[in-house]
Amino acid sequence: MAKLRNVAVVAFSQAPIVARDEHRIASEILYPEVRSALDQCDVERAAIDYQVAGSADYIDGRPFGFVAALDVMGSWPAKQDLHLEMDAAFAAYYAWVRMQAGDCDTALVCGYGKNSEGEPERVLNLELDPYYQAPLGLGPSATAALQASAYMARTGATDRDFAEVAARNRAAGAKNPCAQLREAVPAETLAATPWVVEPLRRGYLPPYGDSAVCLVLAAEGKAERMCDRPAWIHGVDQRIEMQTLGARDLSQSAGAKLAAEKAFAMAGLASARDADVIELCSTTPAEELILREATGVQAGDRSVLNPSGGPLCGHPLMMTGLIRLGEAFRQLSGRAGAHAVPNVRRAIAHAAQGHCLQQNLFFVLGGERRWT
Amino acid sequence: MSEPPKEPVKYVEANVRLPYHYVAGDYRARYLRALKDKKILGSKCSKTGKVFVPPLVASPESFAPADDLVEVADRGVMTTFCIVRIPVIGRNVELPYVAASVALDGADISIFALIQECKPEDVRMGMRVEAVWKPDGERQGDHEDILYFRPTGEPDAPPASFLNRL
Repeated sequence: MAKLRNVAVVAFSQAPIVARDEHRIASEILYPEVRSALDQCDVERAAIDYQVAGSADYIDGRPFGFVAALDVMGSWPAKQDLHLEMDAAFAAYYAWVRMQAGDCDTALVCGYGKNSEGEPERVLNLELDPYYQAPLGLGPSATAALQASAYMARTGATDRDFAEVAARNRAAGAKNPCAQLREAVPAETLAATPWVVEPLRRGYLPPYGDSAVCLVLAAEGKAERMCDRPAWIHGVDQRIEMQTLGARDLSQSAGAKLAAEKAFAMAGLASARDADVIELCSTTPAEELILREATGVQAGDRSVLNPSGGPLCGHPLMMTGLIRLGEAFRQLSGRAGAHAVPNVRRAIAHAAQGHCLQQNLFFVLGGERRWT
Repeated sequence: MSEPPKEPVKYVEANVRLPYHYVAGDYRARYLRALKDKKILGSKCSKTGKVFVPPLVASPESFAPADDLVEVADRGVMTTFCIVRIPVIGRNVELPYVAASVALDGADISIFALIQECKPEDVRMGMRVEAVWKPDGERQGDHEDILYFRPTGEPDAPPASFLNRL
Protein backbone atom coordinates (compact mmCIF):
# COMPACT_ATOMS: atom_id res chain seq x y z
CA MET A 1 0.00 0.00 0.00
CA ALA A 2 1.35 3.36 -1.05
CA LYS A 3 1.93 5.89 1.65
CA LEU A 4 -1.03 8.21 1.94
CA ARG A 5 -1.66 11.39 3.85
CA ASN A 6 -2.77 10.88 7.43
CA VAL A 7 -6.21 12.42 7.88
CA ALA A 8 -8.25 12.26 11.07
CA VAL A 9 -11.73 12.91 12.33
CA VAL A 10 -11.24 15.70 14.87
CA ALA A 11 -14.79 16.63 15.82
CA PHE A 12 -18.34 15.36 15.56
CA SER A 13 -21.59 16.91 16.62
CA GLN A 14 -25.05 15.43 16.24
CA ALA A 15 -28.51 16.70 17.08
CA PRO A 16 -30.28 13.94 19.04
CA ILE A 17 -32.57 12.10 16.63
CA VAL A 18 -36.26 12.89 17.14
CA ALA A 19 -39.37 11.71 15.33
CA ARG A 20 -40.28 15.26 14.35
CA ASP A 21 -38.70 18.61 15.15
CA GLU A 22 -41.68 20.98 15.25
CA HIS A 23 -39.63 24.09 15.96
CA ARG A 24 -36.84 24.20 13.43
CA ILE A 25 -36.29 23.80 9.72
CA ALA A 26 -33.41 21.59 8.54
CA SER A 27 -30.81 24.36 8.35
CA GLU A 28 -31.78 25.59 11.81
CA ILE A 29 -31.17 22.13 13.25
CA LEU A 30 -27.79 22.07 11.53
CA TYR A 31 -26.47 25.47 12.65
CA PRO A 32 -25.81 24.62 16.34
CA GLU A 33 -24.09 21.38 15.31
CA VAL A 34 -21.69 23.23 13.00
CA ARG A 35 -20.97 25.72 15.80
CA SER A 36 -20.44 22.91 18.26
CA ALA A 37 -18.09 21.00 15.94
CA LEU A 38 -15.97 24.12 15.39
CA ASP A 39 -16.00 24.84 19.13
CA GLN A 40 -14.77 21.29 19.81
CA CYS A 41 -11.72 22.09 17.65
CA ASP A 42 -11.40 25.56 19.17
CA VAL A 43 -11.37 27.11 15.71
CA GLU A 44 -13.54 29.48 13.73
CA ARG A 45 -14.82 28.81 10.21
CA ALA A 46 -11.76 30.55 8.72
CA ALA A 47 -9.79 27.43 9.75
CA ILE A 48 -11.87 25.27 7.39
CA ASP A 49 -10.50 24.91 3.84
CA TYR A 50 -13.24 22.85 2.28
CA GLN A 51 -16.85 21.98 2.94
CA VAL A 52 -19.00 19.13 1.74
CA ALA A 53 -22.53 18.03 2.54
CA GLY A 54 -24.85 15.11 1.93
CA SER A 55 -28.60 15.62 1.59
CA ALA A 56 -31.43 14.82 -0.83
CA ASP A 57 -33.61 17.34 -2.63
CA TYR A 58 -36.55 14.95 -2.51
CA ILE A 59 -36.29 14.83 1.26
CA ASP A 60 -35.96 18.60 1.43
CA GLY A 61 -38.93 18.82 -0.94
CA ARG A 62 -37.29 21.40 -3.14
CA PRO A 63 -34.80 21.41 -6.01
CA PHE A 64 -31.26 22.50 -5.19
CA GLY A 65 -32.19 22.11 -1.53
CA PHE A 66 -28.55 21.99 -0.49
CA VAL A 67 -28.12 25.74 -0.94
CA ALA A 68 -30.35 26.29 2.10
CA ALA A 69 -27.62 24.85 4.33
CA LEU A 70 -24.81 27.05 3.04
CA ASP A 71 -25.76 29.99 5.27
CA VAL A 72 -25.34 27.84 8.36
CA MET A 73 -22.17 26.06 7.20
CA GLY A 74 -20.04 29.18 7.45
CA SER A 75 -19.77 29.70 3.69
CA TRP A 76 -18.26 33.16 3.93
CA PRO A 77 -15.81 34.37 2.72
CA ALA A 78 -16.74 32.27 -0.33
CA LYS A 79 -15.74 28.64 0.19
CA GLN A 80 -14.78 25.63 -1.89
CA ASP A 81 -17.78 23.37 -1.62
CA LEU A 82 -19.18 20.07 -2.83
CA HIS A 83 -22.62 18.59 -2.37
CA LEU A 84 -23.64 14.96 -2.76
CA GLU A 85 -27.11 13.52 -3.13
CA MET A 86 -25.84 10.80 -0.82
CA ASP A 87 -25.49 9.95 2.82
CA ALA A 88 -23.00 12.43 4.26
CA ALA A 89 -20.58 9.56 5.00
CA PHE A 90 -19.89 9.46 1.28
CA ALA A 91 -19.25 13.20 1.46
CA ALA A 92 -16.65 12.49 4.15
CA TYR A 93 -15.05 9.99 1.78
CA TYR A 94 -14.82 12.56 -1.01
CA ALA A 95 -13.36 15.11 1.40
CA TRP A 96 -10.73 12.52 2.36
CA VAL A 97 -9.94 11.93 -1.34
CA ARG A 98 -9.68 15.67 -1.88
CA MET A 99 -7.36 16.00 1.09
CA GLN A 100 -5.08 13.36 -0.40
CA ALA A 101 -4.40 15.81 -3.24
CA GLY A 102 -2.80 17.99 -0.62
CA ASP A 103 -4.42 21.31 -1.45
CA CYS A 104 -6.70 21.41 1.56
CA ASP A 105 -5.95 20.44 5.14
CA THR A 106 -9.33 20.73 6.83
CA ALA A 107 -12.89 19.91 5.82
CA LEU A 108 -16.34 20.35 7.28
CA VAL A 109 -18.75 17.49 6.51
CA CYS A 110 -22.46 18.08 7.09
CA GLY A 111 -25.54 15.90 6.78
CA TYR A 112 -29.09 17.12 7.21
CA GLY A 113 -32.67 16.72 6.08
CA LYS A 114 -36.04 16.54 7.78
CA ASN A 115 -37.48 13.14 7.08
CA SER A 116 -40.60 14.08 9.03
CA GLU A 117 -41.66 16.71 6.49
CA GLY A 118 -42.01 14.33 3.58
CA GLU A 119 -42.75 10.65 3.10
CA PRO A 120 -39.43 8.78 2.92
CA GLU A 121 -40.99 5.52 1.75
CA ARG A 122 -42.43 7.32 -1.28
CA VAL A 123 -39.20 9.19 -1.92
CA LEU A 124 -37.07 6.05 -1.77
CA ASN A 125 -39.50 4.23 -4.05
CA LEU A 126 -38.42 6.74 -6.71
CA GLU A 127 -34.83 5.62 -6.29
CA LEU A 128 -35.81 2.45 -8.14
CA ASP A 129 -35.95 2.08 -11.92
CA PRO A 130 -38.97 4.14 -13.09
CA TYR A 131 -40.18 1.67 -15.75
CA TYR A 132 -40.11 -1.75 -14.16
CA GLN A 133 -39.68 -1.39 -10.42
CA ALA A 134 -40.91 1.93 -9.03
CA PRO A 135 -44.46 1.56 -10.50
CA LEU A 136 -44.86 -1.60 -8.43
CA GLY A 137 -44.86 0.64 -5.38
CA LEU A 138 -41.98 -1.06 -3.61
CA GLY A 139 -40.53 1.01 -0.81
CA PRO A 140 -37.34 0.39 1.10
CA SER A 141 -39.15 -1.73 3.70
CA ALA A 142 -40.41 -4.01 0.95
CA THR A 143 -37.06 -4.33 -0.81
CA ALA A 144 -35.36 -4.90 2.54
CA ALA A 145 -37.90 -7.67 3.17
CA LEU A 146 -37.07 -9.24 -0.20
CA GLN A 147 -33.46 -9.23 0.89
CA ALA A 148 -34.30 -10.64 4.33
CA SER A 149 -36.26 -13.48 2.72
CA ALA A 150 -33.39 -14.29 0.37
CA TYR A 151 -30.99 -14.32 3.31
CA MET A 152 -33.25 -16.60 5.35
CA ALA A 153 -33.62 -19.00 2.42
CA ARG A 154 -29.90 -19.24 1.87
CA THR A 155 -28.72 -19.45 5.49
CA GLY A 156 -31.65 -20.82 7.44
CA ALA A 157 -31.79 -17.71 9.64
CA THR A 158 -35.06 -17.43 11.54
CA ASP A 159 -37.44 -14.80 12.80
CA ARG A 160 -35.94 -15.41 16.23
CA ASP A 161 -32.44 -14.59 14.90
CA PHE A 162 -33.75 -11.26 13.63
CA ALA A 163 -35.38 -10.57 17.00
CA GLU A 164 -32.10 -11.24 18.82
CA VAL A 165 -30.18 -8.86 16.56
CA ALA A 166 -32.79 -6.14 16.99
CA ALA A 167 -32.91 -6.63 20.78
CA ARG A 168 -29.11 -6.34 21.09
CA ASN A 169 -29.17 -3.05 19.17
CA ARG A 170 -32.10 -1.72 21.17
CA ALA A 171 -30.35 -2.52 24.45
CA ALA A 172 -27.26 -0.61 23.28
CA GLY A 173 -29.32 2.33 22.04
CA ALA A 174 -30.81 2.78 25.50
CA LYS A 175 -27.44 4.18 26.59
CA ASN A 176 -27.00 6.56 23.64
CA PRO A 177 -28.40 10.04 24.29
CA CYS A 178 -28.55 10.74 20.54
CA ALA A 179 -30.62 7.64 19.70
CA GLN A 180 -34.29 8.04 18.88
CA LEU A 181 -35.38 4.73 20.40
CA ARG A 182 -33.92 4.65 23.88
CA GLU A 183 -35.66 1.72 25.44
CA ALA A 184 -34.22 -1.79 25.71
CA VAL A 185 -36.78 -4.26 24.39
CA PRO A 186 -36.45 -8.05 24.83
CA ALA A 187 -36.26 -10.24 21.74
CA GLU A 188 -39.52 -11.99 22.58
CA THR A 189 -41.36 -8.66 22.64
CA LEU A 190 -39.87 -7.60 19.31
CA ALA A 191 -40.75 -11.00 17.84
CA ALA A 192 -44.38 -10.35 18.80
CA THR A 193 -44.63 -7.01 16.97
CA PRO A 194 -46.78 -7.02 13.82
CA TRP A 195 -45.40 -7.63 10.36
CA VAL A 196 -44.64 -4.53 8.32
CA VAL A 197 -43.54 -6.44 5.26
CA GLU A 198 -43.12 -10.09 6.07
CA PRO A 199 -40.52 -11.31 7.15
CA LEU A 200 -39.79 -7.90 8.71
CA ARG A 201 -41.71 -6.86 11.79
CA ARG A 202 -42.31 -3.40 13.20
CA GLY A 203 -39.66 -4.18 15.81
CA TYR A 204 -37.07 -4.92 13.13
CA LEU A 205 -37.37 -1.63 11.26
CA PRO A 206 -36.29 1.76 12.55
CA PRO A 207 -38.46 4.85 12.38
CA TYR A 208 -37.21 7.67 10.17
CA GLY A 209 -36.10 10.61 12.29
CA ASP A 210 -34.96 14.22 12.15
CA SER A 211 -31.39 15.16 12.99
CA ALA A 212 -28.40 17.09 11.64
CA VAL A 213 -24.73 16.22 11.91
CA CYS A 214 -21.40 17.92 11.42
CA LEU A 215 -18.02 16.21 11.35
CA VAL A 216 -14.60 17.82 10.92
CA LEU A 217 -11.67 16.19 9.10
CA ALA A 218 -8.11 17.46 9.41
CA ALA A 219 -4.79 16.35 8.01
CA GLU A 220 -1.68 15.55 10.01
CA GLY A 221 -0.05 18.74 11.27
CA LYS A 222 -3.40 20.38 11.97
CA ALA A 223 -5.40 17.48 13.37
CA GLU A 224 -3.24 17.29 16.52
CA ARG A 225 -3.89 20.96 17.25
CA MET A 226 -7.64 20.62 16.71
CA CYS A 227 -8.23 17.52 18.83
CA ASP A 228 -6.51 15.90 21.80
CA ARG A 229 -7.28 12.41 20.48
CA PRO A 230 -7.84 12.44 16.71
CA ALA A 231 -9.32 9.34 15.12
CA TRP A 232 -6.96 8.65 12.21
CA ILE A 233 -8.28 7.16 9.01
CA HIS A 234 -6.31 4.01 8.31
CA GLY A 235 -8.27 2.68 5.39
CA VAL A 236 -11.32 3.50 3.29
CA ASP A 237 -13.09 2.02 0.28
CA GLN A 238 -16.40 2.57 -1.49
CA ARG A 239 -18.22 0.23 -3.89
CA ILE A 240 -21.51 0.45 -5.75
CA GLU A 241 -23.55 -2.35 -7.30
CA MET A 242 -26.11 -2.49 -10.10
CA GLN A 243 -29.51 -0.82 -9.74
CA THR A 244 -31.48 -3.76 -11.12
CA LEU A 245 -32.35 -5.70 -8.00
CA GLY A 246 -33.02 -8.93 -9.90
CA ALA A 247 -29.49 -8.93 -11.28
CA ARG A 248 -27.95 -9.11 -7.82
CA ASP A 249 -27.80 -11.92 -5.29
CA LEU A 250 -29.75 -10.12 -2.59
CA SER A 251 -28.95 -12.75 0.02
CA GLN A 252 -25.46 -11.32 0.32
CA SER A 253 -23.60 -8.11 -0.35
CA ALA A 254 -20.76 -8.45 -2.84
CA GLY A 255 -20.16 -4.71 -2.69
CA ALA A 256 -19.84 -4.64 1.09
CA LYS A 257 -17.48 -7.60 0.99
CA LEU A 258 -15.18 -5.99 -1.57
CA ALA A 259 -15.25 -2.56 0.07
CA ALA A 260 -14.45 -4.12 3.45
CA GLU A 261 -11.56 -6.17 2.03
CA LYS A 262 -10.06 -3.13 0.31
CA ALA A 263 -10.46 -0.87 3.33
CA PHE A 264 -9.00 -3.49 5.68
CA ALA A 265 -6.05 -4.03 3.32
CA MET A 266 -5.35 -0.28 3.20
CA ALA A 267 -5.50 -0.20 6.98
CA GLY A 268 -3.28 -3.26 7.41
CA LEU A 269 -6.13 -4.92 9.29
CA ALA A 270 -6.01 -8.72 9.07
CA SER A 271 -9.72 -9.07 9.80
CA ALA A 272 -12.69 -7.26 11.29
CA ARG A 273 -11.96 -9.11 14.53
CA ASP A 274 -8.95 -6.83 15.01
CA ALA A 275 -11.26 -3.87 15.47
CA ASP A 276 -12.54 -3.10 18.95
CA VAL A 277 -15.69 -1.42 17.71
CA ILE A 278 -17.68 -1.90 14.52
CA GLU A 279 -20.51 0.43 13.57
CA LEU A 280 -22.58 -1.05 10.75
CA CYS A 281 -25.18 0.93 8.83
CA SER A 282 -27.74 -1.86 9.03
CA THR A 283 -31.34 -0.72 8.96
CA THR A 284 -32.75 -4.24 9.44
CA PRO A 285 -31.49 -7.29 11.33
CA ALA A 286 -31.05 -9.07 7.99
CA GLU A 287 -28.78 -6.28 6.77
CA GLU A 288 -26.68 -6.65 9.91
CA LEU A 289 -26.32 -10.39 9.38
CA ILE A 290 -25.44 -9.90 5.70
CA LEU A 291 -22.87 -7.23 6.60
CA ARG A 292 -21.42 -9.41 9.33
CA GLU A 293 -20.95 -12.16 6.79
CA ALA A 294 -19.43 -9.71 4.28
CA THR A 295 -16.94 -8.36 6.81
CA GLY A 296 -16.19 -11.66 8.50
CA VAL A 297 -17.62 -10.76 11.88
CA GLN A 298 -18.89 -13.76 13.77
CA ALA A 299 -21.04 -14.17 16.83
CA GLY A 300 -18.86 -14.25 19.92
CA ASP A 301 -16.09 -12.12 18.41
CA ARG A 302 -14.45 -9.63 20.74
CA SER A 303 -15.42 -6.66 18.56
CA VAL A 304 -18.36 -4.70 19.94
CA LEU A 305 -20.99 -4.28 17.28
CA ASN A 306 -23.02 -1.06 17.11
CA PRO A 307 -22.50 0.13 20.70
CA SER A 308 -24.53 3.21 19.71
CA GLY A 309 -27.57 1.06 19.03
CA GLY A 310 -27.02 1.46 15.29
CA PRO A 311 -29.55 2.57 12.71
CA LEU A 312 -32.22 0.34 14.29
CA CYS A 313 -32.40 2.94 17.09
CA GLY A 314 -32.49 5.96 14.79
CA HIS A 315 -32.44 6.38 11.04
CA PRO A 316 -32.18 9.98 9.87
CA LEU A 317 -31.78 9.40 6.13
CA MET A 318 -28.70 11.04 4.57
CA MET A 319 -26.97 11.05 7.98
CA THR A 320 -27.29 7.49 9.25
CA GLY A 321 -23.96 6.54 7.66
CA LEU A 322 -22.04 9.61 8.80
CA ILE A 323 -23.28 8.97 12.34
CA ARG A 324 -21.48 5.59 12.17
CA LEU A 325 -18.23 7.43 11.39
CA GLY A 326 -18.97 9.93 14.14
CA GLU A 327 -19.60 7.08 16.57
CA ALA A 328 -16.25 5.50 15.66
CA PHE A 329 -14.63 8.87 16.43
CA ARG A 330 -16.50 9.12 19.73
CA GLN A 331 -15.29 5.69 20.76
CA LEU A 332 -11.66 6.29 19.75
CA SER A 333 -11.44 9.78 21.22
CA GLY A 334 -13.03 9.02 24.58
CA ARG A 335 -16.20 10.99 23.83
CA ALA A 336 -18.77 8.19 23.78
CA GLY A 337 -20.01 8.76 27.33
CA ALA A 338 -22.45 6.16 28.64
CA HIS A 339 -22.09 3.88 25.62
CA ALA A 340 -18.27 4.00 25.60
CA VAL A 341 -16.42 0.74 24.95
CA PRO A 342 -13.23 0.54 27.05
CA ASN A 343 -9.77 0.71 25.46
CA VAL A 344 -10.77 1.22 21.85
CA ARG A 345 -7.71 1.32 19.60
CA ARG A 346 -9.27 0.54 16.25
CA ALA A 347 -12.77 0.98 14.89
CA ILE A 348 -14.65 0.20 11.70
CA ALA A 349 -17.41 2.48 10.42
CA HIS A 350 -19.70 1.42 7.58
CA ALA A 351 -22.19 3.43 5.57
CA ALA A 352 -24.73 2.28 3.01
CA GLN A 353 -27.09 3.86 0.57
CA GLY A 354 -29.70 2.60 -1.83
CA HIS A 355 -32.01 -0.37 -1.79
CA CYS A 356 -30.69 -3.66 -0.42
CA LEU A 357 -27.22 -2.31 0.42
CA GLN A 358 -26.56 -1.15 -3.12
CA GLN A 359 -23.71 1.15 -2.09
CA ASN A 360 -21.22 0.45 0.65
CA LEU A 361 -18.45 2.45 2.24
CA PHE A 362 -16.03 1.31 4.91
CA PHE A 363 -13.70 3.37 7.05
CA VAL A 364 -11.09 1.86 9.35
CA LEU A 365 -9.92 4.24 12.06
CA GLY A 366 -7.27 4.09 14.74
CA GLY A 367 -5.87 6.05 17.64
CA GLU A 368 -2.42 6.21 16.02
CA ARG A 369 -1.33 7.53 12.64
CA ARG A 370 -1.38 4.95 9.86
CA TRP A 371 1.56 6.19 7.79
CA THR A 372 4.89 7.48 9.11
CA MET B 1 -39.30 -10.75 -30.86
CA SER B 2 -36.88 -8.95 -33.18
CA GLU B 3 -39.67 -6.79 -34.67
CA PRO B 4 -40.94 -3.85 -32.63
CA PRO B 5 -44.70 -4.00 -32.06
CA LYS B 6 -46.89 -2.45 -34.77
CA GLU B 7 -48.42 -0.09 -32.26
CA PRO B 8 -45.55 0.71 -29.96
CA VAL B 9 -46.04 1.93 -26.43
CA LYS B 10 -44.71 5.41 -26.81
CA TYR B 11 -45.05 6.81 -23.35
CA VAL B 12 -45.11 5.63 -19.79
CA GLU B 13 -47.19 7.72 -17.43
CA ALA B 14 -45.38 8.48 -14.22
CA ASN B 15 -47.42 10.66 -11.94
CA VAL B 16 -45.26 11.38 -8.93
CA ARG B 17 -47.06 12.51 -5.82
CA LEU B 18 -44.89 13.57 -2.91
CA PRO B 19 -46.68 15.42 -0.13
CA TYR B 20 -44.69 17.59 2.31
CA HIS B 21 -45.68 19.23 5.55
CA TYR B 22 -43.14 21.93 6.27
CA VAL B 23 -43.04 23.27 9.79
CA ALA B 24 -42.85 27.04 9.82
CA GLY B 25 -40.23 26.91 12.55
CA ASP B 26 -40.22 29.19 15.57
CA TYR B 27 -38.49 32.05 13.78
CA ARG B 28 -40.87 32.11 10.85
CA ALA B 29 -43.88 31.54 13.11
CA ARG B 30 -43.12 34.69 15.08
CA TYR B 31 -42.32 36.68 11.95
CA LEU B 32 -45.51 35.61 10.18
CA ARG B 33 -47.69 36.06 13.25
CA ALA B 34 -46.37 39.61 13.66
CA LEU B 35 -47.44 40.47 10.09
CA LYS B 36 -51.02 40.04 11.28
CA ASP B 37 -50.41 42.99 13.62
CA LYS B 38 -48.73 45.01 10.84
CA LYS B 39 -45.34 44.45 12.42
CA ILE B 40 -42.18 43.35 10.62
CA LEU B 41 -39.63 41.45 12.72
CA GLY B 42 -35.95 40.93 12.11
CA SER B 43 -33.23 39.13 14.02
CA LYS B 44 -30.17 40.86 15.38
CA CYS B 45 -26.66 39.44 15.00
CA SER B 46 -25.15 38.94 18.46
CA LYS B 47 -21.72 39.92 17.12
CA THR B 48 -22.22 42.77 14.66
CA GLY B 49 -25.68 44.06 15.62
CA LYS B 50 -26.84 43.79 12.02
CA VAL B 51 -30.56 43.13 11.63
CA PHE B 52 -31.83 40.50 9.18
CA VAL B 53 -35.33 40.60 7.73
CA PRO B 54 -36.95 38.09 7.57
CA PRO B 55 -35.19 36.77 10.67
CA LEU B 56 -32.32 34.28 10.33
CA VAL B 57 -31.05 32.07 13.18
CA ALA B 58 -27.47 33.05 12.43
CA SER B 59 -25.65 35.71 10.51
CA PRO B 60 -24.38 34.17 7.26
CA GLU B 61 -21.78 36.92 7.26
CA SER B 62 -20.36 36.77 10.81
CA PHE B 63 -21.57 33.21 11.58
CA ALA B 64 -22.69 34.34 15.05
CA PRO B 65 -26.19 33.53 16.39
CA ALA B 66 -28.93 36.05 15.74
CA ASP B 67 -31.47 35.12 18.39
CA ASP B 68 -32.76 38.54 19.40
CA LEU B 69 -35.92 39.50 17.49
CA VAL B 70 -36.48 43.22 16.90
CA GLU B 71 -39.15 45.22 15.11
CA VAL B 72 -38.21 47.21 12.03
CA ALA B 73 -40.20 49.87 10.15
CA ASP B 74 -42.71 49.03 7.42
CA ARG B 75 -41.05 51.63 5.21
CA GLY B 76 -37.63 52.05 3.78
CA VAL B 77 -35.56 52.77 0.74
CA MET B 78 -35.73 51.07 -2.62
CA THR B 79 -32.29 49.84 -3.56
CA THR B 80 -31.98 47.79 -6.73
CA PHE B 81 -35.02 47.08 -8.94
CA CYS B 82 -36.09 45.63 -12.27
CA ILE B 83 -39.06 46.06 -14.57
CA VAL B 84 -40.73 42.75 -15.37
CA ARG B 85 -42.48 42.39 -18.75
CA ILE B 86 -43.01 38.63 -18.82
CA PRO B 87 -45.66 36.64 -16.92
CA VAL B 88 -44.66 35.39 -13.51
CA ILE B 89 -45.37 31.83 -12.42
CA GLY B 90 -47.93 31.68 -9.66
CA ARG B 91 -48.75 35.38 -9.46
CA ASN B 92 -51.43 37.39 -11.14
CA VAL B 93 -49.82 40.80 -11.56
CA GLU B 94 -50.46 43.35 -14.27
CA LEU B 95 -47.51 43.81 -16.62
CA PRO B 96 -45.16 45.52 -16.60
CA TYR B 97 -44.47 45.68 -12.91
CA VAL B 98 -41.55 46.69 -10.76
CA ALA B 99 -39.83 44.13 -8.54
CA ALA B 100 -37.45 45.72 -6.10
CA SER B 101 -35.18 45.23 -3.15
CA VAL B 102 -36.38 47.32 -0.22
CA ALA B 103 -34.09 48.03 2.71
CA LEU B 104 -36.49 48.67 5.57
CA ASP B 105 -35.52 51.31 8.11
CA GLY B 106 -33.72 49.44 10.88
CA ALA B 107 -32.77 46.45 8.71
CA ASP B 108 -29.33 45.66 7.31
CA ILE B 109 -30.43 43.45 4.46
CA SER B 110 -33.19 44.11 1.97
CA ILE B 111 -36.38 42.21 1.21
CA PHE B 112 -37.97 41.62 -2.18
CA ALA B 113 -41.16 43.52 -2.89
CA LEU B 114 -43.53 44.67 -5.60
CA ILE B 115 -43.69 48.43 -6.19
CA GLN B 116 -47.04 49.78 -7.28
CA GLU B 117 -49.03 53.04 -7.39
CA CYS B 118 -46.35 54.56 -9.62
CA LYS B 119 -45.26 54.27 -13.25
CA PRO B 120 -42.30 51.97 -13.92
CA GLU B 121 -40.44 54.84 -15.61
CA ASP B 122 -40.65 56.91 -12.42
CA VAL B 123 -39.02 54.26 -10.25
CA ARG B 124 -35.44 54.96 -9.20
CA MET B 125 -32.86 53.74 -6.72
CA GLY B 126 -33.08 55.63 -3.46
CA MET B 127 -36.84 56.16 -3.69
CA ARG B 128 -38.59 56.00 -0.32
CA VAL B 129 -41.39 53.42 -0.16
CA GLU B 130 -43.90 52.10 2.39
CA ALA B 131 -45.84 48.88 2.80
CA VAL B 132 -49.50 48.75 1.82
CA TRP B 133 -51.15 46.24 4.14
CA LYS B 134 -54.28 44.21 3.75
CA PRO B 135 -57.10 45.78 5.80
CA ASP B 136 -57.56 44.84 9.47
CA GLY B 137 -59.34 41.54 9.86
CA GLU B 138 -58.11 40.22 6.50
CA ARG B 139 -54.48 39.59 7.40
CA GLN B 140 -53.71 35.90 7.79
CA GLY B 141 -50.14 35.94 9.01
CA ASP B 142 -48.53 35.25 5.65
CA HIS B 143 -46.52 37.13 3.06
CA GLU B 144 -49.68 38.23 1.26
CA ASP B 145 -50.47 40.47 4.24
CA ILE B 146 -48.25 43.07 2.59
CA LEU B 147 -49.92 43.70 -0.76
CA TYR B 148 -47.07 45.77 -2.17
CA PHE B 149 -44.95 48.85 -1.49
CA ARG B 150 -45.66 52.33 -2.82
CA PRO B 151 -43.73 55.63 -2.92
CA THR B 152 -44.08 57.79 0.20
CA GLY B 153 -43.26 61.06 -1.55
CA GLU B 154 -40.38 61.72 0.85
CA PRO B 155 -37.10 63.00 -0.62
CA ASP B 156 -34.89 60.26 -2.06
CA ALA B 157 -32.27 58.71 0.22
CA PRO B 158 -28.67 59.50 -0.72
CA PRO B 159 -26.82 56.52 -2.29
CA ALA B 160 -24.33 56.31 0.56
CA SER B 161 -27.21 55.44 2.92
CA PHE B 162 -28.20 52.26 1.10
CA LEU B 163 -25.40 51.08 -1.18
CA ASN B 164 -24.15 48.70 1.51
CA ARG B 165 -27.66 47.28 1.99
CA LEU B 166 -28.36 46.11 -1.53
